[in-house]
Amino acid sequence: MQETELHDLSDDADYAASQQHGSASITRSDSSKRSSSSEPEGAEIVYLKDNVTIHPTQFASERISGRLKLIKQGPSLFMTWIPYKGQNSNAKLSERDRNLYTIRAVPFTDVRSIRRHTPTLGWQYIIVVLSSGLAFPPLYFYNGGVREFLATVKQHVFLVRSAEDANVFLVNDFQDRLQRTLSSLELPRAVSVANGTPTSISVSESPNGNQERTDEGFYDGSSSTSQYNGRQKQKLHDPARDPLIHVLEKFSLVTKFARETTSQLFRESHGDGFSANGRRIHNQSSLDYPRKASDEPQKVPDEIPQKVPDEIPVPSDPCEKTSCRNQNHGEEAATNVGSFELIDCKEFGKLTVWGKPRLPPLGLEEWATFLDSEGRVMDSKALRKRIFYGGVEHRLRKEIWAFLLGYHSYDSTYAEREYRGSLKKSEYETVKHQWQSITPDQAKRFTKFRERKGLIEKDVVRTDRSLSFYDGDDNSNVNLLRDILLTYSFYNFDLGYCQGMSDLLSPILFVMKDESESFWCFVALMERLGPNFNRDQNGMHSQLFAISKLVELLDSPLHNYFKQNDSLNYFFCFRWVLIQFKREFEYEKTMRLWEVLWTHYLSEHLHLYVCVAILKRYRNKIMGEQMDFDTLLKFINELSGHIDLDAILKDAEALCICAGENGAASIPPGTPPSLPIENGSLYPQQDDDDVL
Amino acid sequence: MSYAYLFKYIIIGDTGVGKSCLLLQFTDKRFQPVHDLTIGVEFGARMITIDNKPIKLQIWDTAGQESFRSITRSYYRGAAGALLVYDITRRETFNHLASWLEDARQHANANMTIMLIGNKCDLAHRRAVSTEEGEQFAKEHGLIFMEASAKTAQNVEEAFISTAATIYKKIQEGVFDVSNESYGIKVGYGGIPGPSGGRDGSVSQAGGCCN
Ligand SMILES: Nc1nc2c(ncn2[C@@H]2O[C@H](COP(=O)(O)OP(=O)(O)O)[C@@H](O)[C@H]2O)c(=O)[nH]1
Ligand SMILES: [Mg+2]
Repeated sequence: MQETELHDLSDDADYAASQQHGSASITRSDSSKRSSSSEPEGAEIVYLKDNVTIHPTQFASERISGRLKLIKQGPSLFMTWIPYKGQNSNAKLSERDRNLYTIRAVPFTDVRSIRRHTPTLGWQYIIVVLSSGLAFPPLYFYNGGVREFLATVKQHVFLVRSAEDANVFLVNDFQDRLQRTLSSLELPRAVSVANGTPTSISVSESPNGNQERTDEGFYDGSSSTSQYNGRQKQKLHDPARDPLIHVLEKFSLVTKFARETTSQLFRESHGDGFSANGRRIHNQSSLDYPRKASDEPQKVPDEIPQKVPDEIPVPSDPCEKTSCRNQNHGEEAATNVGSFELIDCKEFGKLTVWGKPRLPPLGLEEWATFLDSEGRVMDSKALRKRIFYGGVEHRLRKEIWAFLLGYHSYDSTYAEREYRGSLKKSEYETVKHQWQSITPDQAKRFTKFRERKGLIEKDVVRTDRSLSFYDGDDNSNVNLLRDILLTYSFYNFDLGYCQGMSDLLSPILFVMKDESESFWCFVALMERLGPNFNRDQNGMHSQLFAISKLVELLDSPLHNYFKQNDSLNYFFCFRWVLIQFKREFEYEKTMRLWEVLWTHYLSEHLHLYVCVAILKRYRNKIMGEQMDFDTLLKFINELSGHIDLDAILKDAEALCICAGENGAASIPPGTPPSLPIENGSLYPQQDDDDVL
Repeated sequence: MSYAYLFKYIIIGDTGVGKSCLLLQFTDKRFQPVHDLTIGVEFGARMITIDNKPIKLQIWDTAGQESFRSITRSYYRGAAGALLVYDITRRETFNHLASWLEDARQHANANMTIMLIGNKCDLAHRRAVSTEEGEQFAKEHGLIFMEASAKTAQNVEEAFISTAATIYKKIQEGVFDVSNESYGIKVGYGGIPGPSGGRDGSVSQAGGCCN
């Protein structure tokens, strides 16, 4: 991105120091970026404050101090916060953690608002909210200087105090053309900022009794790393070093929903305390800012209509009207999962939720720490959690997918797995032999077999042929796809073969390489996803239904919009669900997503939350452009290849946690990939032909 | 680019008959035998000219397998034209035409123009359905008919364009209320306003999307 290059501050001493520290593995793109960068023309530090600190956890020992700067470059103003290196005595805080929270250079054109907090006890702090809806953790000014900070900002960018909350400062840099466009687009809303009815929720200025909870939150900042073996920690690839990972992604996206729902949860569970303090609790703010265009992934190409919304007011993202009213689950989620921070940021009266940053994929050495000497996975939950947050390196997939899919059990030893593999291999050969032994004469009288075989043969030559693994004439891997699918259609004759299966098998064979292992892993996957391919499509319908329920729960305006536009069948999510987003991401990303989904870590149904997360990300575009069913279908189809996986996973995680029990209750029992509820024929048969 | 009209087409027929190849041949003028099979629906678009008027065809290419029929049915809504495709080398794809037609009649609007295409006519040596049978079926069911080849491009342009010409003629004859988008027709710049008059915003709409 141009912007990143322009504002690269690698010359900054602190920045450079933080770069040198930590692991030696600087990614190639990083180094190329660094080499291309040069001293920003006329960059000037206009504000500098030491001992500005964040509190990633409630433990005072884990606070991270650093230096906050405002840097002026040309007409633009940037903010950086660079943690000090090597000062913290606490070993629990790795360099990695420090890098993770580093704010490299955020242009003020990306900032929506700054909220100032002045607790009666303790330090003043600010929360910077970006126009994407994302917020940085509170920055505590141990040495004071908040007022000076705001005054400096005001000298350089257009800063107005919110009419309804004197502690909120709205940022609008009118020097920037893009921003100006956006601002003019937001005129109606800007008006509502100016004379909006005072409806924001005034949750509290951190009553002391709740300080731990409110200001410092539940964020279990250490839990992501406590799983690691300490000596490996340093070697992990540091996502913060990856220039591809935009600074904005270092903290998970804060959806408005999440803020509001959390605020709701929070308010309800702590409401009494607050009212006792005489704080007024109002209802939903009218100040919701629909996402700006800049909120869209920047990669979205021209094919995707970039039309500016025709000034159609978009209903704001919900709100307490969603049924997320469960008093307890917010807390539970926060504590059990340990991945959220509830912060009384009072961003227009809302609280902020941060999902855990994504981790680098599980690597070889770290993987070894999960195994005992005989090869058993000692703590499968910890393993699944670890994979949930970062996936696994490709070379480990062959070994680990077998566990995730359930082909091997976690408590099996190396020897047991090897023995079982050989048994399974002969079992596979037996089933395979069933169709291999069909003579041509027999086949003549076996229409169903001929049709199936014909269909499979047609489809395997239309599956991922652009990958070198499957390309070329008479590719042996294509033949393996055919043999495995045909064998599967005998192994599970009732289900047979259905289009989409080859898409699911392709990455499995690509990873496992071995025919029998691929088959059994595919069998394990189909145990769960088989109903997707039922003739009556019941598995698909229950999942699409569950998505509609989740959207109703998590974004009722969007739900109503779909309802009005006769789109409640959610057929536009069909391909996503049928083949687990296989066509929406590039191959490597698909594998990453699958292993995350297969952990079943937060929910068996994370994929449904992924659907909701994507829809929510584009909700304002969908509603703003008044997309009808056809337009929507086309729009969603064309998102393929343009969805930011990590960001969506973080959103999905946040949504899943926020939805809590209500979310789980929205998903009918037996919805794939849950195992079917009733016994009997898993795959209802119909009499007519298999193929038309 | 602006258009006078936009027509929505849907391509239906058994899997493997060459629907996606026909679409690609029409939109990109190339035959790509290796591509991914269609899951759900895919889209293509191209501008053509009829009666000196630019017309944009927005084409929906569907998955053919029986399991997906229920979802395919939802795509008929608002289609002005349909290409119903079979493979002249596979008899069963011809046998299934009646059931495809029934779906189309039930779920599409009654004025949808249907073009029957016997594809893969380059494989004449493997022919399993004669041209006469195709013609006969089309005649019985009131369809336009052509044999075509996505591979050699034979009749591909013609199939798409003559379908559009038929739709255009119907517009001229006042068969449609073109202001009603459920007929699969959108009026852009220079199009004839429908009986109820032109619609506001149609001009900008035409300019806005030309993908
Ligand atoms: N010889 C020949 N082969 C074709 C023709 N059209 C398609 N094919 C082949 O038929 C296969 C299926 O085509 P495809 O367009 O994917 O079928 P769809 O399932 O109806 O979309 C492709 O792999 C092509 O190689 C054609 O006109 N001639
Ligand atoms: Mg196709």
